[in-house]
Amino acid sequence: MQEYEKRAARQRKWMFYLLAIFVLGAGFTPYVQVFLGLLLGGVVSFYNLFLLQKKTTEFTEAIATERRPKGLGTVSRLAATALAVIIALRYEEYFNMIALIIGLMTTYVVIMIDFLIKQKE
Amino acid sequence: MSGALAAAIAVGLAALGAGIGNGLIVSRTVEGIARQPELKGQLQTTMFIGVGLVEAMPIIAVVIALMVM
Repeated sequence: MQEYEKRAARQRKWMFYLLAIFVLGAGFTPYVQVFLGLLLGGVVSFYNLFLLQKKTTEFTEAIATERRPKGLGTVSRLAATALAVIIALRYEEYFNMIALIIGLMTTYVVIMIDFLIKQKE
Repeated sequence: MSGALAAAIAVGLAALGAGIGNGLIVSRTVEGIARQPELKGQLQTTMFIGVGLVEAMPIIAVVIALMVM
């Protein structure tokens, strides 16, 4: 397995762990609204991460094999984010808005921490 | 009405910035892979991290725009 694929799998693994923690938080703590917001944001963030990994792989494969590359899927990611925010605004009583935004940024935290740990090694 | 205009300006400017940033990253990656295909894995990683971090800003802009509307 190449370094990039290993890194991608590791990031997905950490996202799964975080999503599991959010589910447990929503199920077993009194802060249901906060954890549901984190969960919704985390799920969309995970989708964004998965899409970015897939599109990056396809893009570089296309360049290496001299085919015409397709887009990077920016609009899909923005649309997914917009959908999450619209859901949270529509069902305000279930989702905490600040928690949703923190959840949406989970991927970036995972990417940065993973990158820093690998740089140190 | 003014809320919608503010949202449109916020998302538009953020998308413009992200577009320029992504363009710079992708153009350098394409150049690098075309010159040295054996460095594909390393360049792929750099591109992934770069594009990911650049896109954080328009995502926040979309959130703020929808809250302002």
